[in-house]
Amino acid sequence: MKKIFAVIFVLFFTVGTYAQQSPGKDHAKLHINCVSCHTCGLPTKDEPCWVACPREKMITVYLKAEQTDELVIIDQANERFGPVYFSHRIHAQMSVMLGGCGNCHHHNTLEQILKCSKCHEPSRQRENIAILDLKGAYHRQCMECHREWSHETGCKSCHIPISEVKGSHKEESKKQLAGKVHPPVTEPTKIVYETNYEKGKFVTYYHDDHVKNFKLNCIDCHAQESCTKCHDVNNPSSDKLKLVKEKKSLEDHHKKCFSCHAKDDCAKCHLDKQVEQFNHEKRTGWALKKHHINLSCINCHGSKRPYQKLNNQCVSCHKNWKKETFKHYVTGLRLTEPHSELGCEDCHAGNDYSVKPGCNGCHENFVYPKQKPGILVGK
Amino acid sequence: MSGKSRRDFLKKSVAIGSVATGLSASTAKAGPKNILSEDRMGVLVDTTACVGCRNCEWACKDAHNLPAGNLDSYEDRKILETKRRPDQTALTVVNEYPHGKNSNLPVDVKVQCMHCDHPACVSACIVGAFSKQENGSVIWDTDMCIGCRYCMAACPFQIPAFEYDKAINPLIMKCDFCFNRTKDGKLPACVNICPVEALTCGPRHELIKIARNRIKRNPNRYVNHILGEYEVGGTSWMYLASKEFKELDFPDLGKNPAPGVSESIQHGIFAYFVPPVSLYALLGGIMWITKRRKELEEEEKI
Ligand code: SF4
Ligand code: SF4
Ligand code: SF4
Repeated sequence: MKKIFAVIFVLFFTVGTYAQQSPGKDHAKLHINCVSCHTCGLPTKDEPCWVACPREKMITVYLKAEQTDELVIIDQANERFGPVYFSHRIHAQMSVMLGGCGNCHHHNTLEQILKCSKCHEPSRQRENIAILDLKGAYHRQCMECHREWSHETGCKSCHIPISEVKGSHKEESKKQLAGKVHPPVTEPTKIVYETNYEKGKFVTYYHDDHVKNFKLNCIDCHAQESCTKCHDVNNPSSDKLKLVKEKKSLEDHHKKCFSCHAKDDCAKCHLDKQVEQFNHEKRTGWALKKHHINLSCINCHGSKRPYQKLNNQCVSCHKNWKKETFKHYVTGLRLTEPHSELGCEDCHAGNDYSVKPGCNGCHENFVYPKQKPGILVGK
Repeated sequence: MSGKSRRDFLKKSVAIGSVATGLSASTAKAGPKNILSEDRMGVLVDTTACVGCRNCEWACKDAHNLPAGNLDSYEDRKILETKRRPDQTALTVVNEYPHGKNSNLPVDVKVQCMHCDHPACVSACIVGAFSKQENGSVIWDTDMCIGCRYCMAACPFQIPAFEYDKAINPLIMKCDFCFNRTKDGKLPACVNICPVEALTCGPRHELIKIARNRIKRNPNRYVNHILGEYEVGGTSWMYLASKEFKELDFPDLGKNPAPGVSESIQHGIFAYFVPPVSLYALLGGIMWITKRRKELEEEEKI
């Protein structure tokens, strides 16, 4: 009997690990581009519309640097060197502008943190040479920055020669790292540029508007910005911790904006006064909730500028939401058999979905959502 | 010299004699061994990943019984301030160049034999000592090599080196793609040691796919060029870089295979830059061969 359990357990475990890992209930709220995994705009439990494997777009874990381990011991000791005592937390804090966790934990399905060796094989002689081996993967992660930072490539900057390995390294490293932090790299909320452009002196830029509305990752704009973006490493006499301020040409100043705003004219950004932060509800009277808050403007308004006003009927965007084709479970509620036979307006009077559905067409004293015409399902 | 190689040698001496005396080379051309297997191996050198640690230099020497010194001593980066070429004491060297797309990183380039698909050295070798093997490596038979240095003159990448320092029986030296390791199923020594796997060893056709994919996924990192995909008819070792290859001292070569000496010796000299020293060596070589041919002819007459 024990054996059977063991077999079932093993089976369950293998199936469990190889099946699609659950990304967690609230993952839609995370800072992930939906199209990394889904092909459709509204994936549901029943119809997740997965992107076929291998999913080349980045998926990764999202943790605050402070939540991570202070010290990670990479124990791949060989005949020359002992394990590497890696100060993980402070590196995580430093890597924010480089792409955060995803900088190292790339192609990690959500939640569980995968070991590098899950994909990177320990042997250099291997079947799939398109993926780096473990030694190459580790070293590239470290050296790409360390080379910039110190121009050092010596093994001993990270490795302890086997002759010097002693038992107390772990404790010593812990002591060394205790309380060591990199000051947080803070996101500005609003930046006002005062320019020389006569017709419109001010450019008001709301950083998080851009990040949220256009679902941007830091690296989308701050590509290849490593420590050297802020720290002066090329001047040996200067203190590396001194912050450097980049001098940019006019062209460079506009480059990032132009990657999206190439067709806009100057007055789109250059105004004679500061502007208020955009608020969909204030501007249009229609608050963005639930799913809609996660969309970018062009999903509804199209790419043609200026954006046209839309009416707030679901069908004006969701053109295929007809009685015959609409799958009610996408709203999070699966209708019971008799209810699914009804027409939309039987519950949603006048096809107005912005108000609570009514039950009194058939039921006396039934009030939604106290009584429901079906069961709640995961969206 | 065994009976066979002596016969071969005689045949090729005649061929060279006919070139030297202005006869058509094609009729007497030796058929060099050049196997171009579908699955031939190669190495993709990603210079954007190479950190210039020179561990490969050490491993190469170590694998070829050349004085290698202590691996730790290779951490000294001063040596990178001067440009070096592979020679008989170091079959591969790493040179450093000013930055490419990332303004904070120098570009480090490992140099060795490219293991051409249509190797000029193979067609140049008058005794047929050179051959392209099924696994992609271009190697030579030291027992057959007569030290004529034709391969040095013919190679478009100026790779083969001559053991000038050896008084007795000086021979040609170059990267042999670690033939003695690969035939035992091991990776080349340099590929094996590289800490960042800047050197990926695998079937050539697969490496091209990998290289293309890297460029596609990282257009900010690479220039859109796989050096060796087409150059001189394709090479087994190929390069990716973050700046134009001519800025990294790679000769600007066309897609046609470089001509070997046995095809047209003058063409070979004038079409490619050949340092004077090789030219003299080459001419000396011709003289030596011609003389030797006469000697042999005389021997045969007896
Ligand atoms: S690089 Fe030169 S030595 Fe190497 S195979 Fe090509 S021609 Fe021969
Ligand atoms: S393949 Fe072998 S011979 Fe060639 S450079 Fe590498 S270690 Fe040296
Ligand atoms: S071992 Fe690798 S990283 Fe180091 S110099 Fe050689 S190719 Fe570059």
